[in-house]
Amino acid sequence: MTRPTVLALGATLAVIAGVACSDIVAPNRSQRYDWRLVVNYDSAGLPFVDTLSFHWPRNHLPVRIWVEDQFGLPGHVREGIKLWRTAFLYGEWDGVVVSDSNTADVIVRAVQPPPQTIPASVPSCVGATDVDTVNTRFQLRIPIRVYVFPSIPGAPDLDRCFRIVAAHELGHSLGLFQHSTDSTDLMYGVPNVEGLSQRDVGAALNAYHFRADMVPVRP
Amino acid sequence: MRLITTTLALAALLPTALAGQARYSAAFGFTSGTKLAQDRIFQDIDINQRPAPTFTLGASLPVSPRERAGLEITLGFGQTHVKEAGFPTVNGPSFKTLGFTAGVDGPLLGPLRYRFGAGLVKYLASHEGIFRQGAPLLLSLTLGSDCHIYTAGKVGVAARLRYDYQRFSTDELRSSGFARTQDVHRLGLGLALEYTR
Repeated sequence: MTRPTVLALGATLAVIAGVACSDIVAPNRSQRYDWRLVVNYDSAGLPFVDTLSFHWPRNHLPVRIWVEDQFGLPGHVREGIKLWRTAFLYGEWDGVVVSDSNTADVIVRAVQPPPQTIPASVPSCVGATDVDTVNTRFQLRIPIRVYVFPSIPGAPDLDRCFRIVAAHELGHSLGLFQHSTDSTDLMYGVPNVEGLSQRDVGAALNAYHFRADMVPVRP
Repeated sequence: MRLITTTLALAALLPTALAGQARYSAAFGFTSGTKLAQDRIFQDIDINQRPAPTFTLGASLPVSPRERAGLEITLGFGQTHVKEAGFPTVNGPSFKTLGFTAGVDGPLLGPLRYRFGAGLVKYLASHEGIFRQGAPLLLSLTLGSDCHIYTAGKVGVAARLRYDYQRFSTDELRSSGFARTQDVHRLGLGLALEYTR
């Protein structure tokens, strides 16, 4: 090798050695709210307060969602899927609208929610998600049932309301079982934002990287 | 045709008089690399890359009695996989890498030749996961060596070792709050068919 070549080779190695000492720094994930389901009984049905975490297993993805074709709900649910997908960096969750309700993991109906569910209420529409942990508490019965319904039919903001409530209920169906206490979050009890906050993203990521207590089961 | 034009243009810029022959090469091999990113959500998460089949086309011209300068264009087919303690390892987005490297090579020892250079690597990926907002264009520094194992007239076969270094990040990682970049070291092994005109 000639002297200039040796110098150039040495310089290249020196540059590599000089800069090759950096790792990417992950963000702080502490912005979140509690997503876990609070239950007030144990497996025997006796009083016992516990918190149960759930996320869809990787081998169950994409989550199959059947949507009743009313009030433009299929479009709103598709938008909700697209929105929640952005919360995840590593493909932890994905959803797809399917045409067969018999094989669906989540069923979205355009009917009045049953009385035992806790609704997310926006002035012109209402939504709810029915989560059944079965008696063992370690199983989540699928399909998860979601309800979205207009409370003021013909209201001018009904379309926006459906969009927000569909995305909110989709959040419950992916494992965020609690409401946030911050009105800037999509998962606030009376949601009024169309996007995900950092806290929504943080809660979703935490739910999917925390050991799940429940597995989905089909009766 | 474009490759030849580019090579000739490069040659025109070099101060040394060109007296020798152009050498063209086509290579196939596999390139393995260190992790692309790391995260921590309760547990450490590593975004690794699987060994990527890699195709390389090259052209070089002599710039001195011993050294040659040339270009290499590399196409790699990569796949990410996500490793997290307590969770099954799963595949992440797949990607392609298209690399353009200008470099110099020369004799090292016996049949061995060294090569060093610099260039650009463009990641090509569908808009998902860490590539949701697009795939990056990165600077790369390369080192390598060729070992000529067979020569017959104008045609030869060489075993090829290539190392490159890049600093990886994506727009999606940055907008998710990731700071700095991840050093990525890649090592490739392959076989090259060379033709000297």
